[in-house]
Amino acid sequence: MSKEKNDSRFDWTVREEIGILSINNPPENYLEKPEFIALDKLKYLVDNNKLKGLVICGVGRHFSAGAKLDNLYDLAGDENVMKASIDQGKQLLSYINNLDIPVIAAIKGICFGGGLEITLASHIRICSQNALFAFPETNHGLISGLGGTARSLQILRFPAVLQMILSGDVVNAEEALEMHLIDHISTGDPIEEAFLLLKKLTTDKPLKVIYFVMQALRNASTLSLTEALKEETKLFCELASDEAKRRKI
Amino acid sequence: MNITYTTLSFELNEGIGHLELNQPPSNEMTLVFFSELSRICSRMRSMSELKALVISGKGRHFSSGARLSELLTLAKDGSSATPGSPGTQMQQFLNKNNRSFQFLDQLKIPVISAIRGACLGSALEITLFTHFRFCGEDAVFGLPETTFNMIPGIGGISRIYSLAGTATALELVLRGNTFSAEEALKLNLVDLILPKKEVVQTAKEFVGSLPSDYRKEKSKLYLKRFSNSQLLKITD
Repeated sequence: MSKEKNDSRFDWTVREEIGILSINNPPENYLEKPEFIALDKLKYLVDNNKLKGLVICGVGRHFSAGAKLDNLYDLAGDENVMKASIDQGKQLLSYINNLDIPVIAAIKGICFGGGLEITLASHIRICSQNALFAFPETNHGLISGLGGTARSLQILRFPAVLQMILSGDVVNAEEALEMHLIDHISTGDPIEEAFLLLKKLTTDKPLKVIYFVMQALRNASTLSLTEALKEETKLFCELASDEAKRRKI
Repeated sequence: MNITYTTLSFELNEGIGHLELNQPPSNEMTLVFFSELSRICSRMRSMSELKALVISGKGRHFSSGARLSELLTLAKDGSSATPGSPGTQMQQFLNKNNRSFQFLDQLKIPVISAIRGACLGSALEITLFTHFRFCGEDAVFGLPETTFNMIPGIGGISRIYSLAGTATALELVLRGNTFSAEEALKLNLVDLILPKKEVVQTAKEFVGSLPSDYRKEKSKLYLKRFSNSQLLKITD
């Protein structure tokens, strides 16, 4: 238990069917390891709370400055340990990305490297006006290791990704909005705004409808249009049939 | 050439086809409409003189979308007719609509929606399968399906994902709220906002001006050229 506290630092709260996962390693919220919360732990928390949405954020002034270089170099001493650790981190981010409930990253302050990759695995990104984004890995002779390149290419244009990754330059909130790296800038507290947006999206909606929207959206991003339409038809038929029964038609 | 069905009309004039949803004021997309849409798509396959296609709604609105009561009856009939395979009739119905919408998407000629007033649910979905969308400043869009426990059923989620990304698709579909022409433009869901009385005419002029080696992959380039030429007209 104490070991887990040392390795994975996070806070968890549930507020009105919305889970709030906070990276808790202030002030920079460095990720002690790529799997910043144990995958099994997160699965347990999500499944046992019948959540309708999830907010991911950082405790204090920053989202996360990403991995600590010292930790990385320690890990790199053994290639197998390094690979296993990165694979675990990737599995965690894929799990978040494939969740059947909407996930919003609420970003304050610094959001670098691994921190940025966590937000890219989320479905919506809301940041504060003082947020800063960067892929600093190439400054240290590295590249992003948790799918950041591939995921940013799904969102940004190729030249923007190339520039951001190769230069390692810091992008501010306004620039991030313009390049669609983030979806909304919050004038207040992005965590509160993320919570309220999730409430707006999910209040009064049956879990099944939320799940099916998420599945249809995932199909849209992974299947051909024709295949995605076929799957959507199945989802629609099931919901229409439920609704016909509910209304006793 | 003029073709008139009960819920839609089609007119071919100097190479430009004009398909009009013709059940004003709301131009609701009934089961009959979807059948007739499928029929007109089949007819268009063999129209060699068709060089461009404009889709609009008669009167003040594009369309309020599908009729929920018909859909639910279809869902119920399907499940009772063949137990174990819920919504067989519904599935056939949706497959047919998917084919019609994808037919429009895959046409080699320019296909444009000219949108005035309400454009909701399936109506928004059909426009998302056309290559361009021009709308009036009064246009109102929305995918309200999840507010009555359903999801958009004819590709709306996929098309918004392609045009505007995950976050936008998620927010528009789960909220189910309506949004304005301005918002639609900002989200890349429409290409041009016009005075409402000029929408259909300008859409016709635009597709009429496109080159014979038209390719929908170049849509942004065509739009840019057209905007520039419109600006020139104003300064002349």
